[in-house]
Amino acid sequence: MSNLAQPAVIWTALIYLAVVVAIGFWAARRTRSPKDFFIAGQSIGLIVTGLAVTSAAFSGFIFMGGPGMAYRMGLASLFIVIPSSFTAGMLCWVVAKRLRLLAEVREIFTVPDVIFCRYRSRRASGLAAVAVLVGTIGYLGAQLKALGILIEAIFGTREVLGGWSLAAAMAVGLVIVVFYATAGGMVAGVYTDLFQGALMVGAAIAVFYYALRVGGGLEQMTRSIAESQRFGPSHLDPMGSIPVFTAMGFFFVFAVGSLGQPHMLHKFFMIDDPRKLKWMPMVIGVSQTLCVLIWLGIGLAVPALVAGGRMAPLDNPDQASPLFLLGFTPAILAGLVFAGILAAIMSTADSFLNIGAAALVRDLPKAFGRKVGDELAWGRLAVVAIAVSAAVFAYVYGDLIALLGTFAFGTFGAALVPALAVGLNWHRVTAAAATASIATGMGVNLVLEFLAKQTFISCLPGLPFQSGILPSAVSLAASFTVLFLVTWFTWNRRQPDLGEDVDFVMSVGKSTSK
Amino acid sequence: MARRICLLFLAVASPLILILFVIPWTYSDVVFAILVMGYPVALVGVAVGRGDSLSGLGVVALFLFALLEVSALAMYVLRGFVMEAPWVGGLPFAAAIQLYGLWLIPLLVVPLAYALTFDRFEMTQEDLGRLQRFKKTPEERP
Repeated sequence: MSNLAQPAVIWTALIYLAVVVAIGFWAARRTRSPKDFFIAGQSIGLIVTGLAVTSAAFSGFIFMGGPGMAYRMGLASLFIVIPSSFTAGMLCWVVAKRLRLLAEVREIFTVPDVIFCRYRSRRASGLAAVAVLVGTIGYLGAQLKALGILIEAIFGTREVLGGWSLAAAMAVGLVIVVFYATAGGMVAGVYTDLFQGALMVGAAIAVFYYALRVGGGLEQMTRSIAESQRFGPSHLDPMGSIPVFTAMGFFFVFAVGSLGQPHMLHKFFMIDDPRKLKWMPMVIGVSQTLCVLIWLGIGLAVPALVAGGRMAPLDNPDQASPLFLLGFTPAILAGLVFAGILAAIMSTADSFLNIGAAALVRDLPKAFGRKVGDELAWGRLAVVAIAVSAAVFAYVYGDLIALLGTFAFGTFGAALVPALAVGLNWHRVTAAAATASIATGMGVNLVLEFLAKQTFISCLPGLPFQSGILPSAVSLAASFTVLFLVTWFTWNRRQPDLGEDVDFVMSVGKSTSK
Repeated sequence: MARRICLLFLAVASPLILILFVIPWTYSDVVFAILVMGYPVALVGVAVGRGDSLSGLGVVALFLFALLEVSALAMYVLRGFVMEAPWVGGLPFAAAIQLYGLWLIPLLVVPLAYALTFDRFEMTQEDLGRLQRFKKTPEERP
């Protein structure tokens, strides 16, 4: 990481952290019940929910990893984020309305709660809870490690603390996130998300402006990239710089997989009025698209600067963002963007702390027919336990946690999308089909991602596919296939009575649904 | 019918994608691109379909389907022709299709279509009336 320890960056980061802690104190006084803790009392408005979805969905990867990917593989990398222009609409059409209405008629705090309501199957909801927990540890560990690395770089702790620097930086980040997630639960989560989302959007717009200005405009940047020997025309070819299977695999996994991300879906339970979903795709779509500008802006400006000899070629593509911000934007903007990156990481981490805690104290006990007595107190304890385990795991097994972090999105998508997106809209999907699909999605993704990335056991084989095929695309397609196959073989079986209210929710907007 | 076609598409496309992954074939990548682009629209079709129609969203769904498929095919055909093809809006043609066609146009169309059809198809007054019948206080919820 570049040396970020500059006064403007340090002060902006300190102010940001102080605001987040203040929100935690404020929210702690408003958190009195499990409903407040897990779904913010179901009292959140349109803009807050929309920005909370955006900031939970977009981690620091959008700000740091994205421009790095664009430097390495060109515009093809954008297939990861381009679906954001319509996934918000798709989310609302396919799942959000039914999730929110279910929360109106049943006590729904989590995605496994929804699975239980829809299929009346403890096995299906228990498996969903396991998938949520596995993905949570991976995602959270990766976020906490990234948070530690960023805090270490901003405050220059390595020079003072030496070998203990990363551990200390991770501990500081952990204490702040755990403080507001424990004290204020989701009330703190969504209001810090609002602040963090606004910061991310503002920072992305400003950086895009500077990227265009520094690069001399879009056409000048693209022409100099295309004419350079280092990058060449293929850098600007959406299907030319990487295999079509990879480019379209990104699109498949990130467009369809977005329907099964619990940290995003969870936010829909919190809206105070289901009718506010009307403008939700607009709020989410616009805010996500604006955040993506940083990926596009730095992703084009840095190769153009390198091509024009104004910047040295990067040894590590992930340095694209820090080097551009420190070298080509005003110090205060660089400070704001680094605060924005901290914001992106922390908002994703707090969302996962909450859903992980819910999986532990609510979903898993329910799957075994038990109920935890004081969910609020145990929920707070679970937040601490999950955060500490994920941080220790991330610190001790750095490589493994990076592996877990990269497959978490795919695991959620493959395990949960078919059961939710098809199951909530088609009565014929059976509990057996949902259970088999969740198990397939999670299992296939775990095995394939492990085989693809592991370097620990040399005798294990690689992936049995053509090169460029994403393991998460395979597991997503496999999970859909199993859902339809098992539904086909089991739909004549007697289905459990879901209840008139659940039937109603599944038929809203459909006069002849069955 | 439209809803059934969407379900059929998903049921057939999913195993077909797996077959494309394991059996190499000259055109497997372009077939994969076509199937992948149809997925989001098929899922929306299953969600909004009412019996035989797509509840007034047929035009939007067809537009989105055509946009995604044509964009993917155009980018596929234009592979390797960055310098030869015309530049549009500061970008090579294929990149312009990717950024303006796949990114900006759906951003303008989809959220607006959702908002404009929300009261008529997504959550009607009748639905809200029925919801009141099932709505329970937190204490009454099972």
